[in-house]
Amino acid sequence: MISMSFLTGLFSFLAFVSGSALLVMVYLDNRKVRIDDGIAKFRRHIDALSPEARRSSVHHNNPEDRWSR
Amino acid sequence: MARDLAIDLGTANTLVYMKGKGIVLNEPSVIAVNRQSGEVLATGHDAWDMIGRTPSYIVAVRPLRGGAITDFDITERMIRLLLQRVGVSRFTRPKVVICVPSAITEVERRAVTDATRRAGASDAQLIEQPMAAAIGANLPIDEPVGNMVIDIGGGTTETAVISLGGVVALEAIRVGSFDIDAAIQSYVRREHGVAIGERTAEEIKIQIGSAEPGPQDRSADIRGRDLVTGLPKTVRLTAEEVRFAIDEPVTAMVLSVKRCLAKAPPELSQDFLARGMYLVGGGGMLRGLAERIQRETQVPVNMSPQPLEAVVLGAGHCIENYQALRGMFMGTRR
Ligand SMILES: Nc1ncnc2c1ncn2[C@@H]1O[C@H](COP(=O)(O)OP(=O)(O)OP(=O)(O)O)[C@@H](O)[C@H]1O
Ligand SMILES: [Mg+2]
Repeated sequence: MISMSFLTGLFSFLAFVSGSALLVMVYLDNRKVRIDDGIAKFRRHIDALSPEARRSSVHHNNPEDRWSR
Repeated sequence: MARDLAIDLGTANTLVYMKGKGIVLNEPSVIAVNRQSGEVLATGHDAWDMIGRTPSYIVAVRPLRGGAITDFDITERMIRLLLQRVGVSRFTRPKVVICVPSAITEVERRAVTDATRRAGASDAQLIEQPMAAAIGANLPIDEPVGNMVIDIGGGTTETAVISLGGVVALEAIRVGSFDIDAAIQSYVRREHGVAIGERTAEEIKIQIGSAEPGPQDRSADIRGRDLVTGLPKTVRLTAEEVRFAIDEPVTAMVLSVKRCLAKAPPELSQDFLARGMYLVGGGGMLRGLAERIQRETQVPVNMSPQPLEAVVLGAGHCIENYQALRGMFMGTRR
């Protein structure tokens, strides 16, 4: 009897620990993805503004690309 | 399939950029309406020809005068006509990016996007004019350096400092090149007793107007209506007189640029000194204005090779890279 309830207690404890560990891992992983996501998004944003990216839209319509002073 | 569009809905000129094609429409922002029935009679160049020359039942107006949406109904009809003219129908629903003055209010913002959606767009986004101008003028805004853009349009003067794809400092006033026309009109009326129309005033500004004395200073004979006799009359106007007449709006523009310089972080000031400021917009073409700004701020001023198109080209670039540049749109900035 005693060993039975001991085992139940042990297993529920293990289940609880592994469950929370899983939750923590999922959370951390998500956060990493979000950080990576921010970096990637910002890079895409900046890259889309580079002179090369603008060559087809702006340059194309802007052959005389010299500023006068 | 509808092609996505970028629209520069300026107080003076409207330009449309079509994805993959470039600029497909460029005309004055004027609409002529039948006062009684409310029907639209003409838009663009045709309507512009009518300004000040219509019988009483027709009004030819610039609905965006003063950089503000003064008449929502007319603005909506103008957007609808614009989309129709470039081939948008009920079945083709393009995405549309619209450039608006950055001083626009929340209510006006909502009015423009709602009007654009009702007119057939599947998605309507707004972008600030100086940001679009910086993209369209090919400034290196993808780098961490201070890029200063001055956009002087018909109804607004907007100055912005842009670095790393975002606005660092911004200063906008609802004073533009139309205010210079109005100043000329009231000067001629006051000092010469002659009434002239707004189109004549604009011609005078372009012909002999200036912000600084220069070798090109000359006089011109202008025709108007004598306020006392009511008869046509010709008077001679000198460049110096015009300079005096327009000093108030010109000074307001220069002060606004100075305020923007003062708002920018000091780290960027050295960038301005090294790289100069960039002037776009039709109002920036006023003779001597670049020199005057340069003299008063001690910062070099560069003049855009395409002052009238820079804004729509920048917005066009955003429509070509819609996903990547979503963060540029007003209301979605993080
Ligand atoms: N050569 C010139 N000298 C002075 N002013 C000029 C010249 N050419 C055009 N303009 C003025 O520039 C104005 C139009 O500029 P622009 O098309 O940039 O304005 P807009 O974009 O429609 O206005 P906004 O940006 O304020 O909404 C008009 O008021 C016009 O009189
Ligand atoms: Mg403009």
